[in-house]
Amino acid sequence: MLSLLIFSPLLFGFIIAVMPSRLRTSFKYITLLATLLQLGLSIWIYLNFKTGAAFGGINHEAQFQFMQKLPWINLDLGTLGKMQVDYFVGIDGLSVTLLVMTSLVMVIAALASWEITSNLKGFFILFLILDMAVTGVFCSLDFFLFYIFYELMLLPLYFLIGMWGGARREYAAIKFFLYTLFGSVFMLLVMVGLYLSVTDPATGNHTFNMVQMMNPANYQHGSVFSVLSHQTIFGFSARSVGFVVLFIAFAIKVPVVPLHTWLPDAHVEAPTPVSIILAGILLKIGGYGIIRICLGIFPEVATMGAYWLGLLGVISILYGAMNALAQQDLKRMIAYSSVSHMGFVLLGIASQTTEGISGAVMQMVSHGFLSTMLFFLVGIIYNRVHDRSINNFKGLATIMPKYTLFVMIAFFASLGLPGFSAFIGEAFSLTGAFKSSSTNGLLPYWLSVCGSLGILLGAAYFLWTLQRMFFGEVNLKGGAVWQTALSDLNLREKLTLIPIAIMVLVLGLMPSLVFSKINDSVLALISYLQTK
Amino acid sequence: METNLITDTSTTNLTLLAVLLPLLAFVINFLLPKHQFKWAGLVATSAIFLSLIFSAIIFSRVWESSHILHQHLVWFTIGDTHVYAGLLLNNLSVLMLLLVNLIALPVHIYSIAYMKGDENYNRYFAYLSFFCFSMLALVVVDNLVLFYSFWELVGFSSYLLIGFWYKKEKAVKANKKAFIMNRIGDIGLLTAIIIIFTQFHTFDIEQLFSAKGLVVETILKNGLWGALPASYQYLACAGIFMAVFAKSAQFPLHTWLPDAMEGPTAVSALIHAATMVAAGVFLLGRVYSFFTPSELDILAIIGCFTSFMAATIALTQNDLKRILAYSTISQLGYMVMAMGVGAYSQSLFHLVTHAFFKCLLFLVAGMVIHQMQHLKEEQQLDTDPQNIQNMGGLGKQMPLLFLVAIIGGLALVGFPFTSGFLSKDSILVQTASWSWAKGGAFYLVPIVSVITTLLTAFYVTRLIVKVFLGKSKLGIDLANQHPAKINLAYSIPLVFLAACSLFLVFSLNPFSYLNSWVIKGFSLYPVGEGNIWLPIVISLLSTLFVVFAYLIYSRPNKNIIPQQGFFYKLSYHEWYFDLYYQKLIVTPILLLANGLFWFDRVIIDGFVNLLAKITITLSKVAAWTDRNIVDGFLNFIVALAEAIANFTRKFQGGKVQYYLFSMLVILLVLFILKTVF
Amino acid sequence: MIPLINYLVVSVTLFCIGMYMVLSKHNAIQILIGIELMLNAANLNLVAFGKYDSANNAGQIFTLFTIVMAAATTAVALAIILNVYKQYKTIDPDKIDKLGD
Repeated sequence: MLSLLIFSPLLFGFIIAVMPSRLRTSFKYITLLATLLQLGLSIWIYLNFKTGAAFGGINHEAQFQFMQKLPWINLDLGTLGKMQVDYFVGIDGLSVTLLVMTSLVMVIAALASWEITSNLKGFFILFLILDMAVTGVFCSLDFFLFYIFYELMLLPLYFLIGMWGGARREYAAIKFFLYTLFGSVFMLLVMVGLYLSVTDPATGNHTFNMVQMMNPANYQHGSVFSVLSHQTIFGFSARSVGFVVLFIAFAIKVPVVPLHTWLPDAHVEAPTPVSIILAGILLKIGGYGIIRICLGIFPEVATMGAYWLGLLGVISILYGAMNALAQQDLKRMIAYSSVSHMGFVLLGIASQTTEGISGAVMQMVSHGFLSTMLFFLVGIIYNRVHDRSINNFKGLATIMPKYTLFVMIAFFASLGLPGFSAFIGEAFSLTGAFKSSSTNGLLPYWLSVCGSLGILLGAAYFLWTLQRMFFGEVNLKGGAVWQTALSDLNLREKLTLIPIAIMVLVLGLMPSLVFSKINDSVLALISYLQTK
Repeated sequence: METNLITDTSTTNLTLLAVLLPLLAFVINFLLPKHQFKWAGLVATSAIFLSLIFSAIIFSRVWESSHILHQHLVWFTIGDTHVYAGLLLNNLSVLMLLLVNLIALPVHIYSIAYMKGDENYNRYFAYLSFFCFSMLALVVVDNLVLFYSFWELVGFSSYLLIGFWYKKEKAVKANKKAFIMNRIGDIGLLTAIIIIFTQFHTFDIEQLFSAKGLVVETILKNGLWGALPASYQYLACAGIFMAVFAKSAQFPLHTWLPDAMEGPTAVSALIHAATMVAAGVFLLGRVYSFFTPSELDILAIIGCFTSFMAATIALTQNDLKRILAYSTISQLGYMVMAMGVGAYSQSLFHLVTHAFFKCLLFLVAGMVIHQMQHLKEEQQLDTDPQNIQNMGGLGKQMPLLFLVAIIGGLALVGFPFTSGFLSKDSILVQTASWSWAKGGAFYLVPIVSVITTLLTAFYVTRLIVKVFLGKSKLGIDLANQHPAKINLAYSIPLVFLAACSLFLVFSLNPFSYLNSWVIKGFSLYPVGEGNIWLPIVISLLSTLFVVFAYLIYSRPNKNIIPQQGFFYKLSYHEWYFDLYYQKLIVTPILLLANGLFWFDRVIIDGFVNLLAKITITLSKVAAWTDRNIVDGFLNFIVALAEAIANFTRKFQGGKVQYYLFSMLVILLVLFILKTVF
Repeated sequence: MIPLINYLVVSVTLFCIGMYMVLSKHNAIQILIGIELMLNAANLNLVAFGKYDSANNAGQIFTLFTIVMAAATTAVALAIILNVYKQYKTIDPDKIDKLGD
């Protein structure tokens, strides 16, 4: 089932590849079909996803669902034992909500691809490969497989930004690529280190199985990352080094200040569908990786470093918000607001409380939808007049009332208005962070108080933008030309925006759609973190 | 009141209906097709009318029945914590429920006429319904998460309504300011809720704040608050205060309310005079048991200060709605102060009475502004229709308006036989006895309050004289102008509200608030002894001030008060709050934001780019090394071999003579060597 | 009696002249002449030293042989030169460097 979900886009990509170019107008429909199929599959998975304490997942292999485990690479290395890499996919509560979110965002991104006009074949094939990779990341339980999918995302993204992007696309693409590669190269080292430390209790071979990496008993005595033997690298505890390296790799993805500077450039230069995928899904992979891998494999280091994680989270919140306040470019403003919102995720994770982690997952899902919506909205205006500087627009509400309505929904949802999903996410991330000081003592309470200032700043930059761009008398830089170019939403755009707006609202009114699925996993994770 | 829970299904359903009907109206109005816009007003009004009927029924069932209705369902579960969604009906909430509907209905009716012809007629009513929904929900919800949600949603709908005329730059700036200032309060409330949740692991208001609730049981002792340090309690309290100060426009977060007057006047009447701004006081009422006595003292002092400050500002303002806005702030200050001095029921009593007469005054102001706008358009004048310096003589033209304005004004001043007399003086009496008990500097509080009352008398008189008496300052003979028609949609709300501003609605005895049903409804909280002398003395003094102000302002075109003095300027510029907020907070934050962006671009990104540059430079060095050193060594060897080869090649040139010569040379060399060695 | 050293001086002089001609002349005929001179210098030495071998006069006999041989080789050499000239239209040994390849 999961394999179908993962590889179906690849199939469609292949179909597009072999189709003659004269049918290029149909490519977008094929892509849309692929993503819709994927959405259908993931909704089916969501509906059939069982909940209960017996399905917590995290560190119990048997509790994962929709599992598929096939031997993949088996090399007999003679005296070195056997190299064992499995094709091992499965999901627990943490992944399933993100998976549904991913598929929906992919549909939206496919719809946003209507604006692409050049080299359609290449674009859609890369798009579908990317689709496969991100889905794979959320499902992989084998570190090797995870890494492959993780790296596989970079390649299509590099080309998608570099070939279909804006004016400084090459700079942005290279920056993005190198930034991420910088993180993942070191991740590779840690992965190999873990591989050499962990043995599969069943076969006695070394293994890349992530679930088994979470059990301290599976570590060979004296190996690098063994819990008991306290190995050191350059005088630091080896496990701390491993944690930090993995954290940096994922922090680049999230992104956490000060590793965020690829994001504004990449977002600004990327075409709309790619911005959507970047903000909607890629950032979540960072958060997901931190929960699943950093916390999962190095729990005791995560606990030691929780304060720093939380601090970084709060810095991201405030720093991102302040930067958003200073922006003149609408897309850049939204990019920085992403930094700010993802800070809540990190803060929630750092708290290691049920509220905090649930809030973080909720915030990830919610931000997935909201950033999709925001970038799609920016894309609309950019397509019309090829400008997105805030100061060049005024009074858009008069000429584009429907557009403004959706902008207001997106803005107010993003700034955490109750009734929308972001409020639940942010409020519970903060609750968790606060509670942490009295339950596990990881974070001081002022962190949470400072974090809540981010909500205030969020209101400030979104409302300021609304005031400057949308209200007041009409006054456009491009004059009458722009006024005619800025037509209100068309049917496709409405059809794209309405589902997300509904999702955001529904999740805000019924957060149990997310919480009921993740609850068992979060509880399992917390109890795992406490025992470690 | 005992805390026996009744689960009365029909009451629950009625409450749900009362709350959800406006939401339904909102949805209908929102989806209304363009050519059906004219129905919007009717839809919203009938929804609120039904809601009023239901809440009246609920009120009759719950009020004085000593029951608390509390029902909830699990909303969602997070970890092991269940978060509920539910209703909590006690005397406080049903009173608010009824009050909100009672105010909202006249405002709706009034709006049908007032907003007629506006191109966004349906949007207006959609927003209004949405506001009513959030406000009604706010008063009945049973837990803090939902309370926070609706708390923010009323702020949001107020944002929408202030900026209703979104083309007006001032309106848009005002709604942004209102929302952001309210956000400051929201953060406080959120922090407080989080702290309370951390401490008690529940969001339930009933469990937390009732007479035997968790909050009461947990006392501050030896710097500890239960298991937590006492600082948590202070922080939570500060958070709640922030929320109250923002929503109820108390110092130092009051500056949004005067600006909020940019919205339609009917909205100002409903939201910014009667209901939403009272939500802060309502919050205090809901969580009253949370505060320690010293925290309440702070509350009293701030309330007292705010009411005094706002009253002084109201003295010199020229914008009709701004005067009323500052008057609202002043009256809210009274309520907050009353909460602080322990006059719980009096505070809520004043909340109720104030809602009626202030709403009335705003609706009157709306009509006055309409009339001035009408005159302006007719005479093609370039004047501000809201400036009271341009008004005058409207009393003769619109006698009904004049009459209800006088009733509202007298109620605001607190004259006998009005509702304001009962509630305001009940607060003053309690404050006086409170300061009597405390002694020392606390005497200042009632003294300042009395001064505020007198100032109120002064500015109300100024307002009424300037607007209704004398001659028009526009130089028009109003007798020749036919007045704007006051149709039923205007007159019914005005008369209704005016009637509600009289004593009879609240107490049969016009001089004793002790028998008022509102006070009796909150018998749980001590009322203290009544005192008849203080109110009468204050009333006499107020009359003196009214006469004084009348004498000053009824003389035409004379500025009796010097306009240059420090106090005048302070008052006229609203104590310079906006100026200094702009200078000390907004500008630095924007500067900081720009600075951080610079930091981001230059330092962090610069660092990344520097790394890139260093890498490129390093690689260039490596490339140079590769080309010149590593490759150069190889090339050198090649060149050397070539040189040797070329050298030896010379000997094989095919030139016989050269061969011979070389042989000879070699032979000779050999010989020489042989001989030498 | 003329001392031996006088013969030797003449012989060396002849040899050196011959050598010089062989090395420096640009005409094959002249080189051939140089060779002849060198041969004769050797002959002169043979005859001069032959005085000390009074028993069988081997020096003189060798010299006769050498003269005959020289005549023969000269004939061959001239023939070669003739052919070289036919082939290259020159008898300057500097110009003929095919041997180098």
